[in-house]
Amino acid sequence: MTAAIEVRDLRKRYEGVQALDGVSLTVPEGSFFGLLGPNGAGKTTFISILVGLVRKSGGTAEVFGYDVEDDYREARDAIGLAPQEFNVDRFFPIREVLEHKAGYHGIPADEARERADEVLKRVGIYEKRDTRFDWLSGGMKRRFVLARALITEPDLLILDEPTAGVDVQLRHDLWDLITELNDGGTTILLTTHYIEEAERLCDEVAILDSGRIVAVDSPEDLMDRGADRIEIQLRNPPAEAPTLTAGEGNVENVELDGNRLVVTARQGGLVAPDVVRELDREGFEIVDLEISRTSLEEVFVEMTRGQETVGGEDEDSGEDDPEKATAAAPGTSGGAGGDR
Amino acid sequence: MGVFPTGFKTLTRREILRFVRRPRNTFVPPLITNVLYFSVFGVILGDRVGQIAGVPYILFILPGLVVLGAISNAFENGSFSIFHGRWNEYIHEALTSPLSYSQMVWAYTLSSALRGVIVGIIISVVGAVFTSVGVTRPLYLVAFAVVITVLFASFGIVGGLWADDFDDLTMMNQFILRPLVFFGGVFYALENLPDGPLQTATLLNPMFYMVDGVRYGFLGTSEVNPNLSLAVLTLMAVVMVGINTVLFKRGFGLTD
Ligand SMILES: Nc1ncnc2c1ncn2[C@@H]1O[C@H](COP(=O)(O)OP(=O)(O)OP(=O)(O)O)[C@@H](O)[C@H]1O
Ligand SMILES: [Mg+2]
Repeated sequence: MTAAIEVRDLRKRYEGVQALDGVSLTVPEGSFFGLLGPNGAGKTTFISILVGLVRKSGGTAEVFGYDVEDDYREARDAIGLAPQEFNVDRFFPIREVLEHKAGYHGIPADEARERADEVLKRVGIYEKRDTRFDWLSGGMKRRFVLARALITEPDLLILDEPTAGVDVQLRHDLWDLITELNDGGTTILLTTHYIEEAERLCDEVAILDSGRIVAVDSPEDLMDRGADRIEIQLRNPPAEAPTLTAGEGNVENVELDGNRLVVTARQGGLVAPDVVRELDREGFEIVDLEISRTSLEEVFVEMTRGQETVGGEDEDSGEDDPEKATAAAPGTSGGAGGDR
Repeated sequence: MGVFPTGFKTLTRREILRFVRRPRNTFVPPLITNVLYFSVFGVILGDRVGQIAGVPYILFILPGLVVLGAISNAFENGSFSIFHGRWNEYIHEALTSPLSYSQMVWAYTLSSALRGVIVGIIISVVGAVFTSVGVTRPLYLVAFAVVITVLFASFGIVGGLWADDFDDLTMMNQFILRPLVFFGGVFYALENLPDGPLQTATLLNPMFYMVDGVRYGFLGTSEVNPNLSLAVLTLMAVVMVGINTVLFKRGFGLTD
């Protein structure tokens, strides 16, 4: 099976900035793939190369086996893109803009009209069909660019921060919509700063930092790389923290805080029973136990912190404060299980 | 389905609708300007100038005014449409679609040329109100009209790709188009010029051949062989479309 996206050693240099520095990545067909990374990491550049809005400086990029330069027409036909920055025709009412986009992809006028109505209903702005893009509200604009990406029924749907600045309702509507599309076989590539979104939706996540891939894994496996927190309340706490042998080296730290023992360990869920058994053997009486999974956000922050900045000439790229990027996400502190 | 692919037809249609739906910006200004031109140059000044190249002055300038209106509108449409699309980035809608580069270029070129032709027709109609002009060589007139509007639409597209801001567009109009027009035999005949640099300049100006050819279409008289003019202008138009296709392929002004 050909991959939806196959990229080898992809490079892009802008004036003074190495935006992509040898990215190799495979996005399997049918997957729901997340592309995460702090501001300026190169996510939008990566996407723009696929659709032909940015020229690569090196490497290869293929979409469903079609080279993005040599077979640009086939590659572009397969992609529906909802971009980060709005780039919508302002001369025409939005329904006509959709009809035009469909037409550019070879869809005959009658069918284009039907599809335009259908996608406008689907994203919930049908009653605005005769309005120009400029007169839509911010959230409606986001909905519109999604509709525009959907009208060509793409095999690969690329969403560049689709939920930036939209209300909770829209975010959930959008999640439902793209999950449904993915279930129907559409490959989805999503960039987001809301880690919760990636955890919830993606099968696989790549973390991009300063133009390089630092990790590719499922959200669960990525989280296994981070340390979980096991909190054990003891009836008879010792004077100082005991040394634990359990957990086969997964335990990273043990601290005593009053009558609570806080164990930090990778794969906390697996380690916890061993720790409990050991404490039991040592004669401690356990009153309460709580495991908090590390969040993808914490792993993400960890991985992209203090990385040597490659495109570092650019002050605004903000590589050094991924927290800022993620802090805006309401509810992310709940983490994977929301069990804190 | 027809002869042309849907994608190409859609982009061409979009481009045409853009100017057809805003006649106040696209068709009314040349209409008014040309009513003024004919009144002042033709009716008021014409009597004093008398005959030029064997025809009344007002008839002599009519083809020139048609050419002027046609090519400047073709140029303006090409440059504006491309530049505005770049400025607001909605040209991405076409660029990220499976249109081939030559389809894109032809769509922008032909729609802009059509605007030039329509303006040319409007001016001819205004001219017909002021004069007793007829069309002596209709096929030549059509051929010249198509070729020169395609040529200037292509120049406009290069300008639209090259411009960095709106001032660049104004500048191209002021410093390139206007001089070409005013020293291109719109308002005078070659035989009126003294031998020397002014004549040479006129002969090197493509505008001269365009006006001369269109004059042949209307009046049946010309100063140079219209077939030669048509052949050279056609070649120039084809080369320009080719250049634009290469520029699109390279992403000049379009991609980072
Ligand atoms: N057209 C351009 N010219 C010059 N530099 C650019 C251009 N576009 C992007 N860059 C630089 O390339 C780097 C990567 O930018 P890119 O937009 O791909 O990041 P991103 O991961 O999408 O960031 P964000 O999360 O903020 O959207 C940044 O340093 C940016 O300043
Ligand atoms: Mg971006």
